[in-house]
Order: sequence, then structure tokens, then C-alpha cells
Amino acid sequence: MTALAERNPTVKAGLLLAVSLATVVLLDPVTLAALYLAGVAVARFGAGVRGRALLLAQVPFWSFALGVLAVNALSRPGTVLLDSPVRVTQEGLVVGLGLALRGLVIGALTVAFLASTPPRALMVSLTQHARLSPRYAYALLAGHRMLAGLPRHWADVRAAQAVRAPLRRDGTPRTGVAALGRAAFALLVHQVRASERVALALESRGLSDRPRTLWRPVPLDRRDALLAVGVVVAVAAVVVAGVLVAPLLPPWLRV
Amino acid sequence: MTQVRRARLDLKEIVLLVGLGVAFGFLYWALVQAWNGLAVLMGPAGDLAQHVLLGGWLIVAPVAVAIVRRPGVGVVAEVIASVVEVVFLGSPVGPLLLVAALIQGVGSELPFALGRYRRFGWARYAASGALGAGLVFVWSAFRFGWFGQDVLALRFGLQVASGVLLGGLLARVLVDALRRTGVLDGFAIVTDERVATPVVRRAG
Repeated sequence: MTALAERNPTVKAGLLLAVSLATVVLLDPVTLAALYLAGVAVARFGAGVRGRALLLAQVPFWSFALGVLAVNALSRPGTVLLDSPVRVTQEGLVVGLGLALRGLVIGALTVAFLASTPPRALMVSLTQHARLSPRYAYALLAGHRMLAGLPRHWADVRAAQAVRAPLRRDGTPRTGVAALGRAAFALLVHQVRASERVALALESRGLSDRPRTLWRPVPLDRRDALLAVGVVVAVAAVVVAGVLVAPLLPPWLRV
Repeated sequence: MTQVRRARLDLKEIVLLVGLGVAFGFLYWALVQAWNGLAVLMGPAGDLAQHVLLGGWLIVAPVAVAIVRRPGVGVVAEVIASVVEVVFLGSPVGPLLLVAALIQGVGSELPFALGRYRRFGWARYAASGALGAGLVFVWSAFRFGWFGQDVLALRFGLQVASGVLLGGLLARVLVDALRRTGVLDGFAIVTDERVATPVVRRAG
């Protein structure tokens, strides 16, 4: 077990949301870069995501960040750095960098959270410590199982449709957007039916209304409080340091 | 016959909301996989082009409200779908998607709430999509610093148009089609109307 995996899921989820919301008011690239490095360190050493897995998990966040950076550099009015073939402004570049780093901070922390938190532990902990109704928690856990079965069901629907699909000249079935839409609708119908059956199964096991006892409760202790205080202090320290360092920065890095 | 409205949702209805969240979460995920390649090819225009699909993220709320017809269902369905995307599918937007989902849900549900969950015409679906997209635009614009960009009005127009089409009118098409399949027979969308039009009995 890694250090973060032993901590309480509700506390981790709360911290993740709090830090994500805090980044929304930050725009200074230096502070955000420091937070990003800290986030990657948490994912690597706190949650044990290493090497290739750590890089791959961040690819979607990087591509998202690159898009944000590019569109801001090109579409924000300000001091023009480059006029042809496209107009790039200094303000756009710095603001874009800040916005892109926001996404990366959240991304690194989300990777750490997901790698250290099994869905079951999260749901049990939320019913224990966040007063989430068990009816919603068990429904969501059932949804997690349904999700695992969906890719196979999608393949089944596509295979069934391919039987009657018009063929290309080489004999392979022709597939278009309309066929994908029909498959998506079939999947939706299946899902409505499946959820009715799942609800019946849950109810027949007594998972409906009464107060419940818990199998394998998730612990919440002093170390979780320590984690919460530690994260808040660390983020606050980085933000304060960022404000102190700001006057020393070269003018081209200022917003 | 007046109906007694239960305050809480049945387990069947909760699981349906989760089921819809899972199905749409999976379809979005497949869509995003296909979309990312295109967005990379389009370069910086990809960021703008993604607004065209924004309405797709709203659709689960009107569909859920139309089927279950109970206050709060749109918001709950939208939040559940975002939980599925963040916790189960690892969406790159991260936990802030929950905040966006909450805002979208409120916007999408409002027109139906004003109709006391009894009116489900085309215009109401369109208003639902427009309001969902419009409300969340304020949050996105704040979060991504769109205020002060040259393309602010274009972004707004694209998102609201997408909301009306994909997050509103398409929802009605989908709900009608689902209803015709018969899978919704056990839900309020069908049972409420059965109650509203009582069977005529022969006298004596």
C-alpha cells in the first residue's frame, strides 16, 4: 500500500476538489508550475504511479493544455510578439500558459487520486463520512460494474448489426455515422433495461431503505486530519511564495 | 384522481439515473477518443470546434427529467454522469467537472420545473438546452479566462446553438424513441399518463 492509498477517500476527494477550486483564482505561471511539480511528486511518491504509467496518464491533460495555450496566444489582444503568419500576443502567451498549467495541476492530482482510491472504498467512505445515502452509493457501485460490461455489449450490438449491413465491394460491412447512432441507441435501450433488473436485484437483497451495517468499513483517523492540514499548508505556502517572488520576475512573465 | 408525489426517488429511479449516466459517460468517452484526434489535426481551431459538441454533455438532464418527472432529477442525473466520467472513466477535466455538471443540471432542469414537470413540448426542450449551455458558459468563461478574448461572442453563440440542438431537441427525439421501444413502461413518463386518462368503464 502506498502512503496515499492508506488515507481516507472522502478526505482525499475533498482535498482534490478544494485544490482544484483554489487553482481557479490563480493565474501566475510560476506559482502554478510549482504546484504542478508538487502534484506530479504526489502522484509519483504518494500514489506510486511511476515512469511510463505516469507519463501516459497525463497525455490527455497535456493535449488539453496545449489547445488552451494555443488558442489564448492567438486570440487575446495585447502586445504583438509575432505578426505573420499568425498574430501572437505576449499577454495571450502568459495567460494561456497560466490556464494550461491550471489544467495540468488538476490533472496530476486527479491521477494521484484515482490511482490510490478504489471506487468501492470511495463509495463506502462517502456513506460513512459524508452522509451519502447508501441507495445512491450502491446504485453507483452497480453502475461501475455495468460500465465494465458496456464495451463488450457495444461489440455485440455492432456484430449483430454487421450481419445485415450493406457490404463494400471487398465483402466487409459498410459502417457510417448513422450505423454508429443506431448502435448507440441500442446500447441506451439495453442500459435502461439493465438498470431496471439491477434495481430489482438490489432491492431483493434488502439494499433499499433501512439503516444498514457496513462490511469492511473504511477507517478515518488522525493521520487523515494531518494529511488535510499538510496539503492546505503546503498549497498556501506555495501561493504566498509566488506572491513574494512576483516582483523579481522578468516583465515578459507578468500578466 | 390526484397524484401523491413522493419526496424521495425509488431505488429503481436512482439506478436508472446511474444507468443513463453510465451509458452517456461511455458514449462521451468513445466520442472524445475519436474527437481528440480531430482536435489535434485542427490545431488551435480544435478548441473552438469542441464547442460544437458541448450540447452533448447536457442531454442526460432533459432525458432523465422527461422519464422520471420528479424535482431535482435533472441535477442529480447530470452530477451522477459527471461522477461516472471523473471517478470511473478518468476525465481530463477532473473534479471541476462536478461543479460544471451542477450548474448545467440547474439550467437544464429550470424550464421543466417552471412547467411543474407536466409539460414536455419542443420549445421547452429547446429552452432547457439553451439555458443549460448559457449558465455553464459563465462558469467556463471565468475558468478558462474567455472574457477578454476576441472570440467570446463566437464561443457563446456556438455553445448555445449546440445546447439547443444536441442538449435539447435531440433529447426529445431520444425520449420519444425510447418510449416507443417500451422500455420506459414502468416509469413516470408512461405511468403518469395512464393515471391521467382513466379507463372508461361501462355503467351497471
